[in-house]
Amino acid sequence: MASRDVVQYKSPLTLAFKVFSIAFLTLYMVWTLLPIFIMFVSSFKDLLEAFKIPEVGDWAGSTVFFDFTPTFKHYIGLFGDGNFGRYLANSLIAAGGSALIAVTFGSMAAYSLSRVDFRGKNDLFFWIISTRMAPVVAVMVPLYAIFRSLDLVGTLPGLILAYTTFNLPFAIWILKGFFDNVPYSIEEAQMVDGASRFQAFMSILPLVAPGIGAFIVLCVLFAWNDFLFAAIIGSGGAKTLPVATRELVQPQNIQWGKIMAAGVVTTLPMMLLGLVVRKYLVTGMTMGAVKG
Amino acid sequence: MATITIRNVWKYYGTDPAVRDLNIECSDGSFVSILGPSGCGKSSTMRMIAGLEHISAGDILFDGKRINDLPPKDRDVAMVFENYALYPHKTVFDNIANPLRLRGFSADKIAERVTSAAKLLEIDHLMNRRPQELSGGQKQRVAIGRAIVREPKLFLFDEPIAHLDAKLRAHMRGEIKHLQRTLGTTMIYVTHDQLEALSMADMIAVMHDGELQQWGTPREIFNHPVNAWVAGFVGEPAMNFLTCELRGEGGQTVLTHPNFAIPLLPEQVTRLGSNRSVRMGVRPDALTIDTTRPGGPVIEGRIFVTELLGGDIIVDVQLADARVRVKASTEFAGQPDDTCYLTVNRDKWHLFDIEDGHAFF
Repeated sequence: MASRDVVQYKSPLTLAFKVFSIAFLTLYMVWTLLPIFIMFVSSFKDLLEAFKIPEVGDWAGSTVFFDFTPTFKHYIGLFGDGNFGRYLANSLIAAGGSALIAVTFGSMAAYSLSRVDFRGKNDLFFWIISTRMAPVVAVMVPLYAIFRSLDLVGTLPGLILAYTTFNLPFAIWILKGFFDNVPYSIEEAQMVDGASRFQAFMSILPLVAPGIGAFIVLCVLFAWNDFLFAAIIGSGGAKTLPVATRELVQPQNIQWGKIMAAGVVTTLPMMLLGLVVRKYLVTGMTMGAVKG
Repeated sequence: MATITIRNVWKYYGTDPAVRDLNIECSDGSFVSILGPSGCGKSSTMRMIAGLEHISAGDILFDGKRINDLPPKDRDVAMVFENYALYPHKTVFDNIANPLRLRGFSADKIAERVTSAAKLLEIDHLMNRRPQELSGGQKQRVAIGRAIVREPKLFLFDEPIAHLDAKLRAHMRGEIKHLQRTLGTTMIYVTHDQLEALSMADMIAVMHDGELQQWGTPREIFNHPVNAWVAGFVGEPAMNFLTCELRGEGGQTVLTHPNFAIPLLPEQVTRLGSNRSVRMGVRPDALTIDTTRPGGPVIEGRIFVTELLGGDIIVDVQLADARVRVKASTEFAGQPDDTCYLTVNRDKWHLFDIEDGHAFF
């Protein structure tokens, strides 16, 4: 994607706009980064130090934020007697598992919808995407009843299935756009060269890799950050990080230090994932729209 | 190598027939071109031969064996696509090696075959590049390499050089023809460019509206078109058509038009139908132009415009109700609006039925 040179000429208005946008972006950065910063720093602070806050208007006093002796006791507490290792593993398995299943079935379904014409195809496609239109809460009760009668409540497979239910339509929707942009002739060439239809399908997967990469990230994010499914369907046997964090809020004792540490543990993996796939994510999001 | 028989083949998309009752027989080792404008059914025909589309009715046979129900991979054909269809994420070597890999050849054998195919096409120095790093001509060679490396029964070329620039296209015409002669493999070559078909093929199938119009050698197609459509489609600049009347005068049959009255040759008269109204067709190179009146029957007109094409001049001549194009030598000095006289080479003109367009001669 080549960017065009955007020509701009100086005028008082553009200058004013420039100042405004810099100010806006600065505020926006503070707004988004400060909570993360406070969470990060507080997770290494003793409770007393964490609540040291300067007076309003006392800018010099803001150094108290940095005035602390680092401690790992919250992390040790989480992973030592808090079972957070298992919750972390649960989160990883639930998010990764559902992403994997959704991408496998999603790419096959998207390929078929992209390549094969059949009666009612548009209706089917709309129906698939319409399953995402209802809010999760709306289907929670019937879904719970179904999962309960199948003995899936409180199990990891149950949680994976729940996430897949919501991720699969999304996968089909996103990936169909990517398959639409792959010329037929590449897989036709494969088939004439001696490939079966399935081999031809596999051979064009590298061409939709940006889409698959982008989708996996969105899928994992959805499952990783989910609270509702995890709290209701995963409760008990398949507790994930957000639910476990919520449980640190106890009626007689809100464990702020551990909550901050749990926040860091929950956020970091996704940030790392974002960094790794950033390149794919950007091309992936735009490539579907513009014919390459 | 194989003999390809297309027998009573129909192709429907929905209720629209794209190919109607097609019959073609390509002999072993021949270079057959399917020629026609876009939408004439030529690509559908090729895709049915390749197995990429179902055959609605009729049979396609390779060496007498019906292949209608075989998937593409079992037909042993190799195809070159209009847009090359190279695998963008693979190197040139891997692109060419792909059909061999799919057929489970050993690594040594693959390397040997790919190298020799690449040498033949003079792309052996590009082996590690990816398609986006290649020029159009190079991509097209890679696509051909992928087709020839397997030594298939049949080559299918679908407008492979349509996207190249004019100079490279002229060069590749010669190369592809030479390649086909060298390998001796039966080739079906689809094109909308009559020049490609005339210059390369042993046999041409001219198609229009899903129907086979004429099947013949390039010479037959060019010199003896069976109908006005074929006559108008083949040849550049295109054939001139004039609506004329036939009249009997003094024992002769005379072709009359507001601008001229020229008698037919005696053997031509015997082939006429009963219709008195006909279309006369004459190619620009079967007309001679003069600014002074020559002897014999002439067509009088006025020069509309002249176009220098390098070795020739094309002169557009305005007649009463039509304009004709004439090929002249560069010595021709006529200027626009000059009166001019055209002489017809009567051995090379054609008369077509005004209703169904079939050729009397």
